[in-house]
Amino acid sequence: MMYLEIITPEKLLFAGDIAIIQLPGVSGSFEIMKNHVPIISTLTQGKIKVKAANSVVSYFEVMGGLVEVSNNEVRVLVK
Amino acid sequence: MANLKDIRTRIASVKSTQQVTSAMKMVSAAKLRKAQDAILKLRPYAEKLNEILSNVCNNLSSDVVNKYADRKIKDKILIVAITSNRGLCGGFNSNVVKRTAELLTTSFIEQAKKNKVDVIAIGKKAVDGLKSKGIKITKEHLDFYDQMNYEHVSNIAQSIMDHYVNGDYDHVELVYNQFKNAAVQNLTNEQFLPVALVSSNEGLPKKKGYRLAYIFEPTMQEIVSDVIPQSLKIQFFKAVLDSVAAEHGARMTAMHKATDNAFDLIKDLKLNYNKARQASITNEILEIVSGANAMKN
Repeated sequence: MMYLEIITPEKLLFAGDIAIIQLPGVSGSFEIMKNHVPIISTLTQGKIKVKAANSVVSYFEVMGGLVEVSNNEVRVLVK
Repeated sequence: MANLKDIRTRIASVKSTQQVTSAMKMVSAAKLRKAQDAILKLRPYAEKLNEILSNVCNNLSSDVVNKYADRKIKDKILIVAITSNRGLCGGFNSNVVKRTAELLTTSFIEQAKKNKVDVIAIGKKAVDGLKSKGIKITKEHLDFYDQMNYEHVSNIAQSIMDHYVNGDYDHVELVYNQFKNAAVQNLTNEQFLPVALVSSNEGLPKKKGYRLAYIFEPTMQEIVSDVIPQSLKIQFFKAVLDSVAAEHGARMTAMHKATDNAFDLIKDLKLNYNKARQASITNEILEIVSGANAMKN
């Protein structure tokens, strides 16, 4: 289980526990699961796929952004 | 002695003014709450971004190129004056105009003499105020508050940053009212560009272990060139949001004072009215009594 926050400059899009997240990285799509090493990466235009702890899958369209993972906390800053 | 009817009309007009000002106060209070909300919503984003930026800067090797960095020559200056589109908010707008004019004669006097200071006016009141002071405006954004969203604001910030990168300007200064609380606005001028990088010694020491272990993808250089403009845009957006909230706060205070003044005015007028009324009654009685006396004789 990881904690995820998706933040835009105008509001908080998502906050909660998730199982897996798929992100559109600049150098290709990648996924983050539990106990991922700390990473900071930039995102490009695409879709974020989030599978919540209760297996509910949700999608977010983004124009780009940043992701930071540390200590099983994922923070996505989107534009 | 003032005419009774005159005083009555005055009282009626002051009363309707009072109604308008107190309604405007309520409207400003509601809008202030909304504007404050927007600031609060921006805060987590701004904080996280700053944290990432300082993380990156701590790991930064010195040879990373930053096109928004400091320049030795400060030849061409850009001042961005942020005001509102509407008045009736006390010294809110005129303070910004005054500070802009002051900067031209103090900090940037050298460049102003050489005619190398440009001014961008955001909001109608800045345009009017600066023009009346005889300051030339390079660009004005009047429709700004019709579509106040991040996208629109960041486009303006982007165009300013592009000018900086192209070498059109060496220093960009923002002049705006910072929101402190509903009653207090702090007039500030802050440096927008060149970017002030987070000092590498700051940050949370307990996170040190993680910080060193971060993987940067694709490269640190690319992240820096992504994060810095983003953080600049956020700084600009925050200044605008601050100004909007401060505007409503200033208007609320101004309207509150106006309502109070109207109240005092009505009290004075009522006193005068009653005095005049009493005087006229006394006069009438006097006339009747003297008339009756004249009949008796």
